[in-house]
Amino acid sequence: MTEPLLSVRDLKKHYPIRKGLFNRQVGAARAVDGISFDIEEGETLGLVGESGCGKSTAASSVIRLEEPTSGEVVFNGNGRGSASRNPDGTHPNDVTEFDDDELMQFRRGAQMIFQDPSSSFDPRMSVGSAVGELLKVHGMSDRHRRRAIVEDLLERVGLSASDFDRYPHEFSGGQKQRIALARALVLNPDLIIADEPVSALDVSIQAEILSLIDDLQEEFGLSLLFISHDMSVIRQICDRVAVMYLGEIVEIGPVEEIFTNPQHPYTEALLSSIPTPDPRASVGGIELKGTVPSPTNPPSGCRFHTRCHKVIQPDGVDIDQDDWRGLLNFREKVITGEIDIDQVRENVAAGGSDPTDSEVRAEIRREFDISETVGDPDLEETLSEAMNLLLDDNAEMAGEFLSDEITTPCAQTEPETTVHAADHESACLRHEGRAAAEPNPADD
Amino acid sequence: MSDGQPLLEVENLTTTFSTEDGTLTAVDGVDFSVDTGETVCIVGESGSGKTVATESITKIINTPPGKIEGTVRYKGRDLLSIPGSELREIRGNGIAHIFQNPQEAMNHCYTVGWQITEALQIHQDVSDEEARTKAVDLMDRVGIANASSRFDDYPHEFSGGQKQRIMIAMALVGDPDLLIADEPTTALDVTVQAQILELLDDLQDEFGMGILFVTHDLGVVAQIADRIVVMYAGKVMERGNVLDIFDNPTHPYTQQLLECLPEFGGTGGGIPGTLPDPHDPPDGCRFAPRCEYAEEACRTGEQPEEVEIEPGQWVSCVHYGPGGDPSVIGGEEFGIAGDTGATDGDSEVGPADD
Amino acid sequence: MATEGSERFDQVDWSDLSRSGRFDLSINSIGMLLTTLPLALLAVYDTQFIGDRTPTFEFIGLDRTFEAVDFFFIFTLFLAFWYLVLPLYQNPRMTRYYWKEFKRNRPAVVSMVWLGIVFVGGIIGPLVMSAPQQELLVAYQPPVFTSVVESTPATCVGEVMNGRCHGTWEYPLGTTNAGRDVFTMIVYGMTISMQIAFITTTIVATIGITFGTLSAYSGGWVDEIMMRFVDIILSFPTFLMFLLILYIYGGGLGMFIVVFSLFAWGGTARYVRSKSLSISEEEFIKASRISGASTYQVIRGHVVPNVASSIITQLTLLIPGFLLFEAQLAFLGVGDSTVPSWGQLISAGRSDLSYAPWIVLAPGIVLFLTILAFNFLGDALLDALNPEAEAESE
Repeated sequence: MTEPLLSVRDLKKHYPIRKGLFNRQVGAARAVDGISFDIEEGETLGLVGESGCGKSTAASSVIRLEEPTSGEVVFNGNGRGSASRNPDGTHPNDVTEFDDDELMQFRRGAQMIFQDPSSSFDPRMSVGSAVGELLKVHGMSDRHRRRAIVEDLLERVGLSASDFDRYPHEFSGGQKQRIALARALVLNPDLIIADEPVSALDVSIQAEILSLIDDLQEEFGLSLLFISHDMSVIRQICDRVAVMYLGEIVEIGPVEEIFTNPQHPYTEALLSSIPTPDPRASVGGIELKGTVPSPTNPPSGCRFHTRCHKVIQPDGVDIDQDDWRGLLNFREKVITGEIDIDQVRENVAAGGSDPTDSEVRAEIRREFDISETVGDPDLEETLSEAMNLLLDDNAEMAGEFLSDEITTPCAQTEPETTVHAADHESACLRHEGRAAAEPNPADD
Repeated sequence: MSDGQPLLEVENLTTTFSTEDGTLTAVDGVDFSVDTGETVCIVGESGSGKTVATESITKIINTPPGKIEGTVRYKGRDLLSIPGSELREIRGNGIAHIFQNPQEAMNHCYTVGWQITEALQIHQDVSDEEARTKAVDLMDRVGIANASSRFDDYPHEFSGGQKQRIMIAMALVGDPDLLIADEPTTALDVTVQAQILELLDDLQDEFGMGILFVTHDLGVVAQIADRIVVMYAGKVMERGNVLDIFDNPTHPYTQQLLECLPEFGGTGGGIPGTLPDPHDPPDGCRFAPRCEYAEEACRTGEQPEEVEIEPGQWVSCVHYGPGGDPSVIGGEEFGIAGDTGATDGDSEVGPADD
Repeated sequence: MATEGSERFDQVDWSDLSRSGRFDLSINSIGMLLTTLPLALLAVYDTQFIGDRTPTFEFIGLDRTFEAVDFFFIFTLFLAFWYLVLPLYQNPRMTRYYWKEFKRNRPAVVSMVWLGIVFVGGIIGPLVMSAPQQELLVAYQPPVFTSVVESTPATCVGEVMNGRCHGTWEYPLGTTNAGRDVFTMIVYGMTISMQIAFITTTIVATIGITFGTLSAYSGGWVDEIMMRFVDIILSFPTFLMFLLILYIYGGGLGMFIVVFSLFAWGGTARYVRSKSLSISEEEFIKASRISGASTYQVIRGHVVPNVASSIITQLTLLIPGFLLFEAQLAFLGVGDSTVPSWGQLISAGRSDLSYAPWIVLAPGIVLFLTILAFNFLGDALLDALNPEAEAESE
């Protein structure tokens, strides 16, 4: 088996958070927190997730636009393929350890395309010089040669050689993305990282750019790391896809596999939120509530458990999944002190008279989508006890009580990676026991 | 459609801007209508004039340099001819706007609560106390958790999706009959987009509003629209019921727009060419320069008259007009739906690919 | 394909290309070096090899001498030519675009014509016109087309009618109390004004841009210290400092320019810093970094050009302040009275205002128009040099 072109292992990028007079570091935003993936030669890997999940940071750490905090990025392009590990365990092709000369060489092997066509070109530089700048930086001092190469390349990306002297403001968004492609290609790299290259464009233009990327990839045998929040774009262009949530990869696998047989609940939710262009399709599906938690203080255990619709119930409990989700949300809100009992009272009181306690209870249940009686007597008791404490304005006690009584394995154990099929892995506790029992689970 | 007159009826709406380089026609004789409780989507590429069209309805574009002509009847009153004071009254209480970018539509110097109460007190004579209660109710209604404690937070303390919720709350203060939403979810994540669309749907059921929704995302259109208006270069190309248009798109532009979607087998590579120069639009059909079925007749005269090919489905294309031959365009084989209505991503796209 | 096979991007053998190419000089820098060299040699010759009182150009038989200010002025002209005018010629598309935007502003076009006249007059005037000489006999001649009471001028050069002395074309703007030609003095004043404009701008821009970008790119405590230093510069009582130096060393035009421009770059540096910080967030800077360009190359190639075009406005608006300040100092009598500036001319004529107002009015109007023109120009440049804002609105 040949080595992959790019191999990322346990990559981390933490941004220190400093506060106070002496800029003491009080914490870190864990934007990328230990991700690993491979990209084979000629392959396109998609990186998908909501904004704030760290996918762009991952890209800029891989290409060393930002210095990664830790981890290894092994790049086997530029004809350095056959290197083997040093005796001390480091890899000679580890990008994070490159010196200036090696980095310069790496720049010729990996380039990047950015999201915003309006800001990705210097407004005061003709696009020809902008593309030719890379050649110049890498030592091609012959102006005519640079011009010839860039003109040829502009034609290959569907523009004309006479566009060399034009300025960015004279081009439309789609045309600028073509020029951005030319700029990424001009050093003849093996890998291109595309950070949301089409999300600022109209659908009709998106399709054009995507097919151009496809053609160029085929012609020059490029590998692509394609970052997008748009699942339908990913499906169009990628061979494999990695789903990121809060700095971690929760699922990775071949694109068709992920779309037809998603294993991680987050992937399912992400897939179901894509609007399908079919007016008869049922609306909704799994609605992902709330927003991505802060990467400064990510949830314990599985990071997705605060929003997961399939969060695991502890042993011996078997209630309606919606009720369980509602209970956990309620617990979370009480612990963080975000539930304001006076506010609830006020809402109920909108009818007029002072609300009775039972009305308030009903309102809380309604708000958290918990049914009138929870299917497990113990839990029902815990819930009413907690609500009593709340009604007595004893929110702190209620929080402590709930955090002791209601627990989910998802919040306690960090999920290991489970292999579902060839190349298809996910990190969810629901699969762990099963995978151990039957190493090759049947696809349903 | 509904009994009597529609909630909003736009006829021959034309908006021009005078610029240094001559007159720019952004919207050129557009007709459409919105009924109570219905969602109408205006679809088109950027630059097609869809935003200007919606902003012309309540005249929130600057005039001059803009100039709005035609008729916009809202509950029977022509908004373009009534005096400014009445128009302002309608802007707050009858027709509300939400925009693409909630960051830019909010004032960052004031708390969100203050901004909602201000909007409330402009339109209703309520005490500060009542206004606050109502504002908290509204925030709660649009899904802001802990509304009363977040009342005094500043816009930067909210996420993008929450800001859009606040904008919706502000739009709801006057209990509008028509909500104009200009790409309200384009700047948001898919998951948040789904939440906002869900919210708009709930609110529409609750308040019975008509919604005029501007977007370029056909997935969103399919999800929420009752009727569609397809715009191109300031003109309406095709309009009609959402099912009719997705099953049987008749205008070549609509067809090509749908073909860009992967679900429609779209690897066609987009629509070649670019929008025409709005200072100097081409003769004949606006889409003719990019249309693969364009004939000589398409390139002369004016944009063809709209023809009603099915009840409620109008198309502006020479081939459907008098003397035209619709069979030139391979519309019959189009669509993801087929007779069964099942989604089938691999269905043939007709003679579009040659 | 338009080109032969060897000029395709995927057929470049990078290991062949040495890095020596990275030090190649642009035509602009070569030109700058070639023109500055003789100037520097001349300056060395002037200071080291000939006496203070010997005219600089005596070796070719010319009776002209160059002060330090003159050398520096010519240097700034070279700078402006090689790095401002020539690039405009090299990038005709961008120039046409700027011009298209710029000419929308009619007053600014008129202002530019006026400033062009002042500039050309200031450069060529002293070469073709001899310096105004004291001629008491022709003192107080009125400007052409006007007349004064016959007793005002010592002897009337023009014709005398009905007891009034009429102006002549010999002294189109009249003469001063010492019989100097006001027009010639205004032309000589143009040189001074242009020297002030060019030299201060160069000093302020150089220090401001260097300091601002350095501060922005260093970050941390270096940034902190540099910015506090800017605060000191900004709050420094420059005028008192100038007076102090004036009393100790005596002041000349050079002293004025040096002192005031050395304390005027604070605002520019602060602006450049914030602008560089915002530009460095742009994606084209990231793209440039990924291309392998060094930090210096990124700053020099992208940050400075983008910052510069937006501080041109600020600098243009700084010039009128200097001109006005020079005039005020001259009027108060603290300037160097041997410098033939407009301010000195106004100052010289103030006692004769009641019967010979042209001595004050002529230079006063010219000064006023020049300051106005700089203000109009600054406004128009702000709009014209901002291509991205325009592109988005379309």
